[in-house]
Amino acid sequence: MAKRRKIAVLFGGRSVEHEISVITALQLMLAVDPALYDITPVYIAPNGCWYTGDALLNRTFYASVPGSLSALTEVTLLPKPGINGLTVQATGLVLPVDVFVPVFHGQYGEDGCIQGLFELAQVPYTGSSVAASAITMNKYFCKVYLGAHGVPVLPAALINRDDARADIEATVESICSRSEFSSFPLFIKPCNLGSSIGVSRVGAKHELAAALAKVFRYDTHALVEPCVSEIMEINVSVRDVGRAQASVVEIPVSQSGVLSYEEKYLRPGGKKSGPSQGMASLSRIIDPPDLDPDIRNEVVSHAVRSFSLLGCSGVARLDFIYDLAAGKLYFNELNAFPGSCAFYLWARTAPRVLYTELINDMIETALRTHQSFASLDRDIGLRALKGA
Amino acid sequence: MLHNLSLGILLLGLLEFGYCRTLSFLRYFQQEEYSSSRFLAWIKEKRAIDTRGTAILALAGLLSLILPGGWTTLVIAALATLGLSIVVRIAEEDPRRSGKLKLNMTQRASKIVLVSFGLFALLATGPVVLLLKCCGGGERDLAYFALWGICMAQAPGALLVVANKLLWPAEKALQDRFYADAKRILREVDPFVIGITGSYGKTGAKAALGDLLTQCVGPTFWPKKSINTVMGITRTIREALSPVHRFAVIEMGAYNRGSIKRLCDFTPPKAALVTAVGIMHLERFGSPENVYVAKSEIAQALPPDGILVCNGDSPNARRMAVEHASGKTLLYGLDQSAGPLDCYASDIAFSAQGTSFLIHWGGRSFPGRTPLLGRPALSNALGAFTMACALGAEPAYAVACLANLAPVDNRLVLDSKAGSVSFLRDAYNSNPTGFAAALEVLQALPAKRRIVMTPGMVELGDQQQAQNRRLATMCASVADLVIVVGRINREAILAGLADAEYPKAQIVAVETRDEGFAALSERQSPGDLVLIENDLGDLLEGAVRF
Repeated sequence: MAKRRKIAVLFGGRSVEHEISVITALQLMLAVDPALYDITPVYIAPNGCWYTGDALLNRTFYASVPGSLSALTEVTLLPKPGINGLTVQATGLVLPVDVFVPVFHGQYGEDGCIQGLFELAQVPYTGSSVAASAITMNKYFCKVYLGAHGVPVLPAALINRDDARADIEATVESICSRSEFSSFPLFIKPCNLGSSIGVSRVGAKHELAAALAKVFRYDTHALVEPCVSEIMEINVSVRDVGRAQASVVEIPVSQSGVLSYEEKYLRPGGKKSGPSQGMASLSRIIDPPDLDPDIRNEVVSHAVRSFSLLGCSGVARLDFIYDLAAGKLYFNELNAFPGSCAFYLWARTAPRVLYTELINDMIETALRTHQSFASLDRDIGLRALKGA
Repeated sequence: MLHNLSLGILLLGLLEFGYCRTLSFLRYFQQEEYSSSRFLAWIKEKRAIDTRGTAILALAGLLSLILPGGWTTLVIAALATLGLSIVVRIAEEDPRRSGKLKLNMTQRASKIVLVSFGLFALLATGPVVLLLKCCGGGERDLAYFALWGICMAQAPGALLVVANKLLWPAEKALQDRFYADAKRILREVDPFVIGITGSYGKTGAKAALGDLLTQCVGPTFWPKKSINTVMGITRTIREALSPVHRFAVIEMGAYNRGSIKRLCDFTPPKAALVTAVGIMHLERFGSPENVYVAKSEIAQALPPDGILVCNGDSPNARRMAVEHASGKTLLYGLDQSAGPLDCYASDIAFSAQGTSFLIHWGGRSFPGRTPLLGRPALSNALGAFTMACALGAEPAYAVACLANLAPVDNRLVLDSKAGSVSFLRDAYNSNPTGFAAALEVLQALPAKRRIVMTPGMVELGDQQQAQNRRLATMCASVADLVIVVGRINREAILAGLADAEYPKAQIVAVETRDEGFAALSERQSPGDLVLIENDLGDLLEGAVRF
């Protein structure tokens, strides 16, 4: 039997989606093939400290954080190539790791920050690179970039918190003076967050200021978008297996017009009321049989193309909006690391990809990418300094 | 041998009993902030003496005298031990897990338990050793020991006080060290400190101001919940104040004259917000004038260029703005009849979504809303708004931020479910202004029937009777059912309801809040709106039985 690879699954983190990351990671660790991989769970507490220990595999552990953290071992990843593992803070010992698996949603984990650390440490990691993660996390950058490449996107305005704080009335006026935002409702959302946190559907001009102020609790930039009144959301997952491959599509079912954080994550799944299973428990129609094949094909083709244009890797989920009244499709956003790793879509795709295989492929792709980068010549010597 | 065994078994029972009782008493001692005098006064007032353990031990002693010795003694000892165990383990709740204010096993609490129970164990075991060694094991030993046990059953409360006294020098040294450390952090970070005080409303105003400053001006530190003592603030400063903080909002609680001055010496304020100078805690202060003098210490602590923001709706807060005017003095309020206000709100309306209003400030008017309910919450938000604007917030943006304020726990919070019973929880320590405001909201919100459940208000000195009676009369015009909890204000509330000729059939009087909720669940029906006004601490609730 081949030697089992050591994988470090990193989760938690300093984003507002901390809990969701924990839920996704617990699901993912259960699905990892134990014959192939040896898991080291690494929990990044809300204060930014990294911990490892078997207790992290138990969901009940998280109810008593931070008190329960004292039973764990504090570790870190030093930004120094050649260590190839986690360093124990107290002793300096190294816990070897072959591949790092970041399981984060939101800031610092899905936006290129931790990916930058992996690059500095020169270790293989799953998922998208620094640049792809950073661009996809910023909803505005992502739209502008894809829009420039011909992917249809809704118009958007970017509002800076400092401008709004200095003169909110002028900010509101400037939004309303733009023709694409002249009629309500509008959507106001944080530019750099997922999970519907801070999102408002604004029905009238006098509600705009409060909605912007709500966004600015969480983000320094707000995005204003028109609201498609007769909307159908269509999501699809795309993954990197040497080429971009798309899953079946899904239509999430929302109860209030905008999927709130509560709807996405706090509503118990299915009929049995139990602990939240994150995105996997949301009401949805997977692979809707009566969806127009033309729309489905358009979604898939835009999704695969966007994934490639952005240089994504691993498993992503791309969310589209279909305007039922106008018969138009728009790219909405891309999750570089989607909730529940979108495994529920891959389980229904033909040929079927089970969660375990999804993870295997992510890890193998990470190793391939790492090797591909290692073959780049970086050492051109110190010619300028030596020549001086 | 049987004889020794009997004494040993009863000793074990007594030790377990003593340990559990130590914890039970510690909960109340902790609620009295480890003040020996207040704790002893509470024991006296509530007659918190042991009856259950005493009865069991007395019976055991008596039986051991009447019945023949030998095996019988052993059985008596075992049954007594079992009885004591049932009392403390089953009949009485674990103070760490139940009760509205649970015993919090802090390091200090653990140390007190250790010393206090150590003393108990020593005192309980001593006589057993003495009986065995000196008397050589007489027939009546179990009776003697049971008698001693009766004395010991009364001891845990007093032993806690002794343990606290013994530990005080070490505790004081530790507190001094933490205090000095917090002082050092404050010096290094050097935030702009805003002190908040008031007879009521200071916790809500603190949360609103902390939030507004963070959202509108810059990062702000504020101790969460109602932390307002030197030690509480010390702890949060050490845990959470960081160089990123530009402002620090500190709630300053007054327990007597000098306590705000002590807090001002600790965290010298450059600005102060006074939410109200009323008659709360009158028993601690003696007179309304003393309350005013005590609260004025905050205004006196301001530098010459300080900012003083006072609630113009509170006559004595308004008086403070005149008598202790600072570099910049501003008044806010909801009612202009008492004199001009720098910032006021009009067009106030309540709905299940919160409160909507029009704020007037700096010659302009800003329409806004907040999810918070009631005039007191709006008044606090207005005080925070005035202070934030004085510190550089853009008023229109500050108004927008008011729409995102989070309600403070249990202060007039609406918990509504469609097709079910809705609750308006105003569980925090009540006062006449807050009670009247809660009734106003209860009246304004849609409901099939309106129910008020309350034990009335406390700590109002010689006005307690009259104020409870007055508010009960107000209840009569709003409520379809009134549930009176406990005996503290029962007479006054019933009298107030009678003044309004309120039908007796719509009044339910119960002993405890649990009975209150039971009475409620029997009578409530979907569509009802229930106001829970003043959910008193365990300390003040009815009789304590041991």
